[in-house]
Amino acid sequence: MTVGAVSRDLPTVRVGSTGRVPLVEFIGDPEFTNAVAAEMVALIPAGTDMLLSVVTNALPLVHELSDRSGIPYVVVRKKRRTYMQDPLIVDVPSMTMGVAETLWLDGPHAARLKGKQVTVVQDVIASGGTAQALARLTERAGGTVNGFLAAFKQGETSLPLHFLQELPKRI
Amino acid sequence: MKTHHVQVGTVSRELPIVEVAPGVSVALFNMLGDTEVTEAAGKALAQLIPADVDILVTPEVKALSLAHVISRESGKPYIVIRKTQKPYMVDPVVREVVSITTGKPQTLVLDGFDVDKIRGHKVAIVDDVVSSGGTLHSISQIIQEVGGEVAAVIAVFTEGQERPEVTALGHLPLFT
Repeated sequence: MTVGAVSRDLPTVRVGSTGRVPLVEFIGDPEFTNAVAAEMVALIPAGTDMLLSVVTNALPLVHELSDRSGIPYVVVRKKRRTYMQDPLIVDVPSMTMGVAETLWLDGPHAARLKGKQVTVVQDVIASGGTAQALARLTERAGGTVNGFLAAFKQGETSLPLHFLQELPKRI
Repeated sequence: MKTHHVQVGTVSRELPIVEVAPGVSVALFNMLGDTEVTEAAGKALAQLIPADVDILVTPEVKALSLAHVISRESGKPYIVIRKTQKPYMVDPVVREVVSITTGKPQTLVLDGFDVDKIRGHKVAIVDDVVSSGGTLHSISQIIQEVGGEVAAVIAVFTEGQERPEVTALGHLPLFT
């Protein structure tokens, strides 16, 4: 895979008995993160005033997108934290882990989405299940979903998705 | 809501004071979603890393973007110690460490792929806030187990007691 001037050989990981999927890691790779962010920033839908993402792999990427675009971001967690106040909670069926996950949006962070045009940002969007859960959280927080943005699209999704490159679903 | 004023480089914030246990409140510092503070702290801390440090190690999740910025600014690579094992990890090093703060077991997972980056190298641990030192103790343990040397501990804030072994930009009091 090549993004800008940076090339990476992606490791693959076995999924069930059906084959292997390529794995994109932003954690621990500032060079690749920066190259992807530099190209992705132009894909942020016009009118976006807040980015919404989810832990963990996308964190360095969404930070760079925010720093480059000047658009602030909010992060949804996958665990309840002790300090959360009146969090918004949604369940999402996960394709990667094969088990349902629960997303937690801390109340004060939800307040930052209210009345805002929110773009959902992820590293990889496959079925779009997590992206749809983030969209539900946005609406429950009183924001409007302005678009969906991913570095990589992997497989088919019905979502209107802005993305940089496509990854093979199976190898 | 009561708040506590902090300054990170040119950026100032009013941190909410939140009760975390009966009679104990802390100034809640959460860098996730705060691009300005993460950039300011990361750039300042990058200047404070000893030159002989080879690699940065950070626990997930809250300090991850901070480690990214320090790495970007200093040119030193970073790796993340996870709290759950992932299916894609290769020969992960999994350690149950009893937290010296809560007495509860805590799982730390180092991807086997990352072990060689630590073994025989000088490591700087990066975290957002060092409070009781529980996480710090656990991470130091796993680094030493795989043959690394903890050469520095870098944090935005220390909290509660003063910690001379930690290089920090500021200090947060406990509110009792």
